[in-house]
Amino acid sequence: MVSKVIKITDEQGLHMRPATLFSQAMAGFKSNVQVKHNGKSYDAKSVMMLMTACIKCGDEIEIVAEGSDEQDVLNKAIELFENGLEG
Amino acid sequence: MFEGIAASKGIGIGKIKLIEECELKFVPKHIDDVEKEKLRFENALNKFKKDTAESAESIRKNIGEKEANILEGHIAMISDPAMNSKMMEIIEGGQCAETAVDTVCDMFINIFSQMEDELMRQRSLDISDIKTSLIKILLGVENVNLSQLESGTILITKDITPSMISQIVKDNVAGVITEIGGTTSHAAILLRTIEIPTVLSVAGITKQVKDGDVAIVDGNDGVVYIRPEEELLSKYKLKREEYIKKKIELKELVGVETHTKDNIKLKLYCNIGTPKEAKTVIESGGEGIGLFRTEFLFMDSNHLPSETEQYNSYKEAVDLLSDKTIIIRTLDIGGDKDIPYLGLKKECNPFLGYRGIRYCLGNIDIFKIQIRSILRASAFGKVKIMIPLVTCVDEIRAVRKIVEDCKQQLKAEGIEFDKKIEVGCMIETASASLIADILAKEANFFSIGTNDLTQYTMSVDRGNQNVTYLYSAFEPSVIRSIKNIIDCAKKQGIEVGMCGEAAADELMIPLLISFGLEEYSVSPSLALETKSVISKWTKKEADELADKVLKLSTKAEIIKLLQEYKK
Repeated sequence: MVSKVIKITDEQGLHMRPATLFSQAMAGFKSNVQVKHNGKSYDAKSVMMLMTACIKCGDEIEIVAEGSDEQDVLNKAIELFENGLEG
Repeated sequence: MFEGIAASKGIGIGKIKLIEECELKFVPKHIDDVEKEKLRFENALNKFKKDTAESAESIRKNIGEKEANILEGHIAMISDPAMNSKMMEIIEGGQCAETAVDTVCDMFINIFSQMEDELMRQRSLDISDIKTSLIKILLGVENVNLSQLESGTILITKDITPSMISQIVKDNVAGVITEIGGTTSHAAILLRTIEIPTVLSVAGITKQVKDGDVAIVDGNDGVVYIRPEEELLSKYKLKREEYIKKKIELKELVGVETHTKDNIKLKLYCNIGTPKEAKTVIESGGEGIGLFRTEFLFMDSNHLPSETEQYNSYKEAVDLLSDKTIIIRTLDIGGDKDIPYLGLKKECNPFLGYRGIRYCLGNIDIFKIQIRSILRASAFGKVKIMIPLVTCVDEIRAVRKIVEDCKQQLKAEGIEFDKKIEVGCMIETASASLIADILAKEANFFSIGTNDLTQYTMSVDRGNQNVTYLYSAFEPSVIRSIKNIIDCAKKQGIEVGMCGEAAADELMIPLLISFGLEEYSVSPSLALETKSVISKWTKKEADELADKVLKLSTKAEIIKLLQEYKK
């Protein structure tokens, strides 16, 4: 299992569009990926669950991946958040 | 007359076509053949995706890219593993597909509709649309075909969905009336985009009408008339013509320079409260931003926004404006605007208390963060700093010193900024107006805030019902004050603007032209109308009217005269 804490810098937080892009990217991997926010865990491959998490700008989230390609999926997640999810 | 919610402007007159939809009721059933039910569900899902993609394509062609993306978002939502697997679980538990869709959609509608964030709350509308469409498919209810309506149709239906609108041929539909729905729904947004007059939430309307009845849809005032009398009908036909004429006039003004009838060039700016609105400024014909309120950054946050957060917001607006001027007003809190985490004490007399620049000069650490953020953003465009609630020269001197300190710091850190950034004052207190000649020597520009200027000049709390009758910018004292401020600015050769509501008031504009106001900053929705009013006056006509106004003694006389000369 691998994990990393990330701070959300997008002013809009994790809204519909960034959440869709993120969950679609995560769905391409085999590993189970969870987003932890305020003590709760959400399926990173589900845009609906991610939106219910109500993740705002400035919030910290932890991305936890477990499975055969866990390091790859974690790296991808970090890359997406660092480059901004709007584009 | 029936009242509803005005959802899309304009006036529609035509013959009613009532779209009666079957009730989407179903009886929950127990399912024995789970596999067969799963297949039925999957077929419905595929049909939904296909239909939605088609509607989105039609919307993309006829309405716009952004609107199409919203509908395509529905496909992403229904394809979601969480939503999908929850529905499957219910079917596997022996319940019918309708129950599965209904239960899971309601669950998400419930979650989203309770969220604090307005944008997130709107997602519940998406899910509601998805639910309706899916259940329709499962029940085998055919969508009514709306593409063959006769010209001049007033469409009446219980509820209207984006997919229904995607079929409409715009030129055939004179208006839309529904029984349910609100202005923020996607349907309402689409109707506004294609400019069909619409009134929503007219209770029981489908029971009051039959096909072929004549109806008037007044999307400006949110009212509907069924089978109107001849007299009312002619009145509304006239209203419709006037509205269309005005709309065409205003559209022609987008991108046209703002000038008086005798070609004196003036500046038309807009007031905004969030960086995103900078976009609407350009779209609505604004030539810059005369007031960027920064309170939203502090109010929408649960902590003091950091330098990076503030910088990002200011820079976003600066980038959207490219080379146009943007005047950023420093934090203006206190009075009626409270921010819990700043721990402001309750005051007996908040409008005369610790607010505006007074608060910032008492909390220099907080103020410096904002000044640094604005300076950093100034490296990328034409940014000016504006100080609210100035009452004496010491305040502008103190701010200038802080700006200089911040510049030195940034320089030492090797960070870029506009070395010649202008610092100006809001003139909105009686004191600032009386010493406008002194302030003009130390400020780079003035902006008249008429709302507070009226309040402080007339000594009237505009929130107090018993005294609001005194609150008017047309009081002789306020008009004299405005004239004095503009005179002092011009004498000193600094630019003078106005960012209060009066700058967009068609009665006030000729006076402002006469006094020599150069920059009019108004809400984006009023920009074109303001431009249009300005273009109707020559300086000479405005001067003659102003001379008469300045000789009058009461607000009532002044308004009466201005009404008479209105163009």
